[in-house]
Order: sequence, then C-alpha cells, then structure tokens
Amino acid sequence: MIDYRNYSVEEFATDKKFRQWVLDPSGESILFWKDWLSQNPEQHITVNQAVALVLSIHERYKDDLSEERIQSEIDALVEIAECRKNKNRISFVTNPLLRIAAVITLISGLSYLYYGNQFSKKTEKSSSFYLVEKRNDSSLDMTVLLSDGSVATLKTRSSLKFPSKFSGDTRKVVLTGEAFFDITKNPSKPFLVFANETVTKVLGTSFRVKAPEGANTVMVFVKTGKVSVYPKREYETLSDRDDHEVSGVILHPNQQVIFNKKENRLEKGIVANPDLLSESATHQDLIFDDQPVADVLTTLEKMYGITIVFDKEMLSQCPITTSFKEENLKQRMNAICQAIGANYEVIDGRIILNSKGCNH
Amino acid sequence: MNNEINISAHSDPNADLWHKFKSGDAQAFGELAQVHYRALYNYATKFSSDTEFIRDCIQELYLELWERRSFLSETAFVKSYLLKALRHKLIKESVRLKRFKEHNELSFDAAEADLSVESLIIENEHLKHQIKRLNQIVSHLTKRQQEIIYLRFYQNLENEDIAQIMSLGRQSVANLLYRTIKEIKNIWMPAEFFWGLILISFC
Repeated sequence: MIDYRNYSVEEFATDKKFRQWVLDPSGESILFWKDWLSQNPEQHITVNQAVALVLSIHERYKDDLSEERIQSEIDALVEIAECRKNKNRISFVTNPLLRIAAVITLISGLSYLYYGNQFSKKTEKSSSFYLVEKRNDSSLDMTVLLSDGSVATLKTRSSLKFPSKFSGDTRKVVLTGEAFFDITKNPSKPFLVFANETVTKVLGTSFRVKAPEGANTVMVFVKTGKVSVYPKREYETLSDRDDHEVSGVILHPNQQVIFNKKENRLEKGIVANPDLLSESATHQDLIFDDQPVADVLTTLEKMYGITIVFDKEMLSQCPITTSFKEENLKQRMNAICQAIGANYEVIDGRIILNSKGCNH
Repeated sequence: MNNEINISAHSDPNADLWHKFKSGDAQAFGELAQVHYRALYNYATKFSSDTEFIRDCIQELYLELWERRSFLSETAFVKSYLLKALRHKLIKESVRLKRFKEHNELSFDAAEADLSVESLIIENEHLKHQIKRLNQIVSHLTKRQQEIIYLRFYQNLENEDIAQIMSLGRQSVANLLYRTIKEIKNIWMPAEFFWGLILISFC
C-alpha cells in the first residue's frame, strides 16, 4: 500500500490511483479516498489542490474524439495493413531509394505505353494480342477493365473473354453469365458482346447482359445510349451487309430485350427493376472534402478491386473536393482527372494515371 | 535498463499479441495501435486543428511501424516513443505541405478554450472557480511550459519520457517543470487561505 501521507500536490496529481478517482471515479476508489481523507484531515488542502490541478488540466486539454471514431480509424488501419501485406509493398514514404525506383517504373511504364501504341499500329493486322479470360468465382462483383477504357462489372460465377488489346474494326468480347457494361464511345469500332447465341452491338453506352450458362434466355437491359441486339445466327448471316438493324432489335434507355433461344425470338420490354441498371453496390455515396487525390484513388481501388497506378508523391499535394453518387467508375475517373488536370489510360487491366502534379 | 522499465510500465502489449504482430497479423497490429490512439490524437490536436491532417499523420505513423515490423523491438509501441515520432511527423509534414505559413515551425499551441465554468459537471462552486483560475494561469505560461505541463499532468508521463519527446536533457526537464510548478503555485496559492474549509464534495 502506498503511503500517501507525505505526498505533494504534484505527486498526487500524477499518481495513477488518485487520477482514476478524480477523472473516472468508481465505487471502490470513492470509498478508499473518503476513508483516507477522514484519517488524514491535515492533507485536505493538498488533495483539493491536486484535484483542481488534474481537473483543470483535463478540462483544458481534453479532446472530443468518440470511441466509434477511434474504432473506425483502427479498422481502416487493419484493412490497409492487410492489403499491404498481401501486396508485399514496402513503404515509399520512408525510403528515398524506393521513391526513385517508383518514379522510374512509372516513366518506363509510360514509355512502354507510348512505344507500345506505335508498335500496336504496325502489328495490328497480325493480331498478336492474346485472349484474356476473367472469371469471377467470388461472391462479389468483379470489375474488369478493357483496353479501350470500357468497364465490365462481372457478376458472380460469370466470365468474360476479351483480347488484351482490341484490334481490327470491332471490339469483340464473349460473355457467359451476367455483366454490366459501360462502353467507351468509338463509332468507328462497334463493341460487340457475344452471349449465348446473341450478339449485342453498341457504339458507346451502358447496359447489362444476362446470359446464364445453359439457360434458354438472354436478357439485355439498357441504361444509356442505343443498343442493337441480334440473334447470333442472324448476325452472322448479315455480317457482310451494312444494314444490321433489319433483323435485330434496337433498345433505348430503360428498355430490355429477352431472347428466347428455342424460338430464336427477341422480345422487347421495359426494365422493371431499375437496380439492374446500376453497375453494382459501388453506388454508395462518397464524399471527399478537400482530401488528397491519392486517398480518393485508393478508395476507388478498394471499392472496385482494381489497381490504379499513380505517382503518390506527385499527387500528395492535390486535394480535391467532390461527391459521388450515381456515377460509374469511368465517370468518377473522368471527374477526378478533370479536377487535377490529368488523364488516364487502361493497360493490362490497370488504370494508369498520367499527371504532372498540381500546385495549389 | 530504462527501456525495460518502459516496456513493463507503458507498452501494454502482451507477449502473444506482440508475437502475432511480428508474424504479420493485421488484427494484432490494430490492437496495438488502439492502445495509445487517443493519446496520440490528443497530443496532435495541440499542434494542428486540422483533424484530417492529424488522422493521416497518425495513420502513416502506424503504417510505417507495420511495414518495418520485422525490424522493430517492443519499445516501438511505448507511448512516449509514439508521441515523439508523431511530434516529429507533424512538424515535418506541415512544413512539407506548407500548411502553416504563419509559423516557421509548428509548436505546441492548444486552442484557447475559454473554459466556461457552466460547462463543468461539478457541483462544488469553489472547485469550479479554482479550475477556471488554474486554467487562466496555465494559459499565460510559455508554450514550452504549457507543453511540459500537458505531458506531465495530462498524458501523465515521467520526466524521462518528456525529455525524450521534447528533445531536451533530463535535467532541463526537471528544472523547467520545477520552475513552472513554482510559478503556478505563486500565483495560485496566496488566495487560497480558505481552502481548508472546503470539503471534497465534487464526486
């Protein structure tokens, strides 16, 4: 037992047991100090002063951080830690050598992109680009980035085949299952989705295709733009002619078509469930108030499960204020790029952000 | 030797938790980070009022510990080590971000909270006035004196830890603290002849 009889004001004010009684009194501590004071009445003044000192300093310097807030900060820390562990990343902040390495990698990546483009123009005809197949075996939606900047959101147990780089005069992908597409506009290169005996042709729009494996029906829902849907047989017989619209069905926003395989027939209607016209659960509201653009990008990375390559150092001084509601990934990226005067490209399923930094 | 004392006194991690952290358990890392989160946050608010900036600095501080986990000893999560590292980071980052143009260097500068006696949930009127008076006295101290009082009586750190955090010699801390407390007493005490009459009835 500590002998408190000769304690000074400072000693009381820094004693753990004493502080606990003053700042967070419990039955036990109240009892102890009441008892002690009655036995040591000559110490009343000292104790009173120590109480005033502890309370005054506490009142002066206390914070209003809630326990919930701390918990959410800790949760964020754990999540980032988990993420960094998997990527086996080493801090760029602390090691200047690595920082230089990162810049070099980015530059060489960009020069690859530039020369790669030149290269692709020459070799387009030989179509040396390999076919990629993405399969979503997880229970969450999977975001797939295509080389033209289009975004496909794959539902669970769905797969998408697409070339690593689109070549020729069409952009062809093969879908099994269900996906939402947000297609980059390019009138000279129509985008074609082959799904279970149907072909959906678009020039630039967003829509959903539902073609479950082995099922007899294929459904296409349109969110924006104009979409043409054909039975595959018809499309192939007509593919030499220019006028495809004859046998297909043209869909406008909020319209849908159901293709019946047995009858080889397309049935047009109105989209009953508007949820089908959203990319996925990624439509939660996001508000960024004067936050570093790097944080915003990291949030998008996590949200879509994609990789965004950017120069953290260079963008650390670019705070942006924005709020996202209905936008899809492309619109969000465009908004960010516009705000900081940057542009982006999609290479090998990753978004590469090109920025010269900004000075506010 | 001192470090050993520190470990048992302040670094709350038990051996198991520490072991898990070292082997890359993110949950264990979260638990370790939680122990002194509030203390760090509170200290940071004395240097900056920008809570987002503070949040980022603390997050970065902890993530650096995470990335270097295989090289760390247990002292890394000792309160005074963390506070010192955070103080350093706040100053460094604010210079880098040029957030504090008016100051050459970031310094301990708690927002002048005008303590309203009414806000205190203490019934003892006399105690209320004592608290307000002390608050006034502290607000007239130099920034260094305020920081030392804060570290000693708010964060409840030992002189040794304070010396480390403020990058001062141990003797300088002892001297400064002694002078500061004496200064406070000289202004505070003379008026307190009636103190003996007051009963402790605040709780």
